[in-house]
Amino acid sequence: MDFANLHLSLSNILPEISIAVFLMLVVGFDLIFHEDKKLIPYLALLGLIVTGFLVVRNMGITDSAFAVTSMNSGGMVAVDPFSNYFKLIIILASVIVIFFSMSSSEIKAIYKRSGEYYALMYGMILGMILMVSAVDLILIYLSVELLSLSSYVLAGFTKLRNRNSEASLKYIIYGSAASGMMLYGISVLYGLTGATNLFEINNILQTTQINIFTLSFSIILIFVGLGFKLSAVPFHFWTPDVYEGAPLPITAYLSVASKAAALALLIRFVHSTFVGYVDTNGFWDMISVFDWQTLLIVIALFTMTLGNLTALWQKNLKRLLAYSSIAHAGYLLLGLAVLSNAGMSAVMLYFLAYLIMNLGAFYVVMLVSNDNDKESIDDINGLGFSSPLLAVPLSIFLVSLAGIPPTFGFVAKLNLFAAVIDANLITAVIIALLNTVVSVYYYSRLLKHMYFNKIEDTVAAIKVSKTDTTIVLILAGLIIFFGIFFNNVIEFVKNSAQLL
Amino acid sequence: MSESSLISLAVTILLLPLVGFFIVLLFGKRFEHLYKLEVGIISVALLLSIYAGFVKLTSYVNDTIIAQFTWIDLGNVPTIGHLTVNLGIMIDNVTIIMLFVVTLISALVHYFSIAYMKGDIRFSRYFAYLGIFTFSMLGIVIADNLLMIYIFWELVGLSSYLLIGFWYEKKSASDAGMKAFLTNRIGDIGMFIGILILFTNYHTFSFTEIFNHISNGVVPFGSNGWLTAAGILVFMGAIGKSAQMPLHVWLPDAMEGPTPVSALIHAATMVAAGVYLVARIFAMLTADAMLVIAVVGAVTSIFAASIALTQNDIKKVLAYSTVSQLGYMVMALGVGAYTFAFFHLVTHAFFKGLLFLGSGSVIHSMHHEQDMRNMGGLKRKMPITYITFLIATLAISGIPFTSGFLSKDGLLAGTWAFGNLTGHYLIPIIGFTVALMTAFYMFRLVIMTFHGEPRNQHKYDHAHESPKLMTIPLIILASLSIFIFYTPNPVAPADGWFYNWVKAPQTVVPEEARFEFMKSESHEIEGTVNNDSHGGSGSGSATITHSEMYEHAMHAVHYPAMILSIILAGLGILFAFLMYHWKKIDADKLAEKLKPLYNLSYNKWYVDEIYSFLFIERLLDFSRFISWFDATIVDGIVNYSATFTRGVANITGWFDTYIVDGLVNFTAFVSGFVGLSFRKMQTGKVQTYIVYVVFSVIIILLVLRPF
Repeated sequence: MDFANLHLSLSNILPEISIAVFLMLVVGFDLIFHEDKKLIPYLALLGLIVTGFLVVRNMGITDSAFAVTSMNSGGMVAVDPFSNYFKLIIILASVIVIFFSMSSSEIKAIYKRSGEYYALMYGMILGMILMVSAVDLILIYLSVELLSLSSYVLAGFTKLRNRNSEASLKYIIYGSAASGMMLYGISVLYGLTGATNLFEINNILQTTQINIFTLSFSIILIFVGLGFKLSAVPFHFWTPDVYEGAPLPITAYLSVASKAAALALLIRFVHSTFVGYVDTNGFWDMISVFDWQTLLIVIALFTMTLGNLTALWQKNLKRLLAYSSIAHAGYLLLGLAVLSNAGMSAVMLYFLAYLIMNLGAFYVVMLVSNDNDKESIDDINGLGFSSPLLAVPLSIFLVSLAGIPPTFGFVAKLNLFAAVIDANLITAVIIALLNTVVSVYYYSRLLKHMYFNKIEDTVAAIKVSKTDTTIVLILAGLIIFFGIFFNNVIEFVKNSAQLL
Repeated sequence: MSESSLISLAVTILLLPLVGFFIVLLFGKRFEHLYKLEVGIISVALLLSIYAGFVKLTSYVNDTIIAQFTWIDLGNVPTIGHLTVNLGIMIDNVTIIMLFVVTLISALVHYFSIAYMKGDIRFSRYFAYLGIFTFSMLGIVIADNLLMIYIFWELVGLSSYLLIGFWYEKKSASDAGMKAFLTNRIGDIGMFIGILILFTNYHTFSFTEIFNHISNGVVPFGSNGWLTAAGILVFMGAIGKSAQMPLHVWLPDAMEGPTPVSALIHAATMVAAGVYLVARIFAMLTADAMLVIAVVGAVTSIFAASIALTQNDIKKVLAYSTVSQLGYMVMALGVGAYTFAFFHLVTHAFFKGLLFLGSGSVIHSMHHEQDMRNMGGLKRKMPITYITFLIATLAISGIPFTSGFLSKDGLLAGTWAFGNLTGHYLIPIIGFTVALMTAFYMFRLVIMTFHGEPRNQHKYDHAHESPKLMTIPLIILASLSIFIFYTPNPVAPADGWFYNWVKAPQTVVPEEARFEFMKSESHEIEGTVNNDSHGGSGSGSATITHSEMYEHAMHAVHYPAMILSIILAGLGILFAFLMYHWKKIDADKLAEKLKPLYNLSYNKWYVDEIYSFLFIERLLDFSRFISWFDATIVDGIVNYSATFTRGVANITGWFDTYIVDGLVNFTAFVSGFVGLSFRKMQTGKVQTYIVYVVFSVIIILLVLRPF
């Protein structure tokens, strides 16, 4: 191996290295400071900031790491604006979730084991940032597994209630089955093409005749693994059970960060493996071996419809948000189904909006349930009067989730639907719009509970620390701010939508 | 000071009241004295706008400063190309004068309200609302494009709604708020359609860009008729907001709001926004559109003046007077007297604001008595209010040495010149008649309120001069109603600086759609030189504004118009004194003699009743008809078919029992089964989930059919 190349490769994967180093530091700290675990979350935050800085430093680069000179292109890891964008998303989500964990009563209850907690979280982060940049099937599988294994443990980490362990167990069984299928798919794909590098597979697909049926079979199996992470229908069944059972910070984390990684991986998999060339209007000309568009549209529409319709009947806030996040996965997939650069950047923008509003909503729900250990929809009755500083931001998040202006959610949705309309997928847009209407119902139901359902005895205001209030207000402020001044962020996303 | 810092100054002035609004709204309940912050903020805004005005008028007097930014980038739109929606700020002399007027009156109303609203249960919220109103109004003023105007237009509508219905416990107040909002809605729909016509054709909302397109000979959908339509439709927004016929009905009712609000919103600023809008689009108005505008304004002014003659509620008189004066301004824009229309807007803002605040002072001291028949003799009790009120009355009547004289006289000369040039003499005749009526009803108001003997001794005994916080704004506004602030020569407004600051913009409409007298001289020559294929010739003539014909015509009638208007105003005042002061003519007997006319005026020409009859009752009739149709026809058919069915039923009964029921039960069984399986799907059993996944894979494979 060429050492100059190795050196460059190492400098390209500095963010990943930094995460790994801090993972070990967290473990070491945990061992050294037996009793006092106060510093660990701050160490975790520091690691994220350092990594974030390294990602920003890599921002302009389009390169790959660990390329083998004998092969035509690509190595194991791609370093491009696209992966950097998603790395930033993951880091942002992780930072918020660390604050989240610091004030969650569930995590406070396992104070003694918080070293392990943050170490496992770092495991997830490492898996995720590898996922968004992996261009080799083997690394893809490894990173997915790294993410999965850490999150299985975290889902049942607190062991406070039976349902924690139940969630963890369900997650691990379901996840193993899904990843088993994915591995099977990967091996079939390797068998067909003799390559694991996505670009090489792309090359072979363009030049060689391959048994279409077997190929489709392998692709669908790989899609199962990603659809499981994205909680796309019909691979979503674990979602409500695990979300409800897992501790709230982990639920929030799973609903945002691991989805981001899976989405980025799916986009890259589709783009690098199956796109013949990109035409002048930014539409992807697919190699005609597999009908991605139909698959994605059908899955997307099913996902959003089922998510929204089922959310209508939920009484538990976590379950409601779980189904809502399934529905949002549907919108995201619909944006990808356009198979164009515009669709891809719309999805990326949507994800940023989704990150802020979803984490914000979970944050408020966490603060409420911290107080009374309840998560039912009736527990927020009168919240608008007892704690307006929580209720107003929650309302903003909900309005944004529903996609009503002037919020970031609206801008993102508009951008996404515009991209879909541009591709002449009118029926799909109509169904998606109807879905949005349905979703307004259950989001506004929460508003009604907060502001109109007064309960007889006045509720005491929920005690919230200043940090938490600030974070929630900042998130809500961002939603409104980007809802009005969105050009720069759209510009940023467009520039980031460049794959290796 | 550079242009960009002038822009940022304007933005600061705009945002200050918004900040005040949020702070007072959120924390007003907790900190009782927070309203002082809002008052302070508005005072700062006033000082800043004076400074901005000073800079603009000294350093950039002939420049139009525009700053734009892209709000929405729509990217590459098929058949159009790169499409962006820009927002921006435009500062010209009109803007800067309006900034001053709005912030000044707003600040004075703030001070006045501290005393007037004392003890109100929603005291701080009131100031928050004033803040959001000021913000929205300033937004209209500094906008450089129709979209932004539209946004802030709706925001002033909202704040007006909030303030009219401020005492929402009173049903009449909350009804009036709703009426104002809904009536404005009708105008706004037209305005929105007009804006969209322009946007569809020019892909921009910016005034300057639209005007550039038009002056390059591009008219909407290739026809001047559409240009006229666009102008009239946008003007519809002004009809609603400036309470022109036939949408004027909301303004008198809006007097249910607190009186300082009436002064700020429903006399001085918001209702003038319509006039301001027409002034902004003045350059793109075709001759037809201008004629429509002039007629609407003229009809409104005489119509409202005729109602004001007989009203007894002091605020109602002032409200109709406002409608009438707004009609004046609109009429003036329609006849092309741009400068004087805007001049009248400014002078009217001051003296009408003063009249309303003065009436507020009276109402305050009379413990919320508004009926003039219960007043009288107040000049001894409230000397400051009386004198300032009198100055404003002189101004509105157009007596020399007042501001109103300057603007009104020029405005009437403009209509006269228009009559001379086009033959539409009805418009100046109406204009002068209204001048007579205005002087009459205003002095009727003054005499009934302040002169003579008190008609209600009890209330009179308790009346008192208002506190300083209320009288000082009156004095400031009264001094601004004196000519010296506008021109050194009290009979020649054209000598004043105002006249030099505000010039009518160049018209950009194609030659053939202009008034004869507005055509540019270069037109005749152009036929021989460079004729472009569209037949439009705007590009060649853009250098010449109004031809000088209109200026000449106005100059020619300036002194006759002035003399005539003084005579008419004098006559009006004389009649008022004859009837109400010296009682030489018995007002009641006159009313008896002119019973039908009197009733018509007293009942406001029955417009509310007509609307109620024409629209509201018809709507109810329609609903009744539907209900009748339902009850008679539909039910009849149902009943008939019931009889019929009963006969058939026996036959089908058998069929039903065995075949249909069988099917229904089967369907129910199937859907129940499906429902059950749907419910069962989320079993909580992970092994079943995995089975679903495997089946899904198979189904997907079958659906995609890759073989």
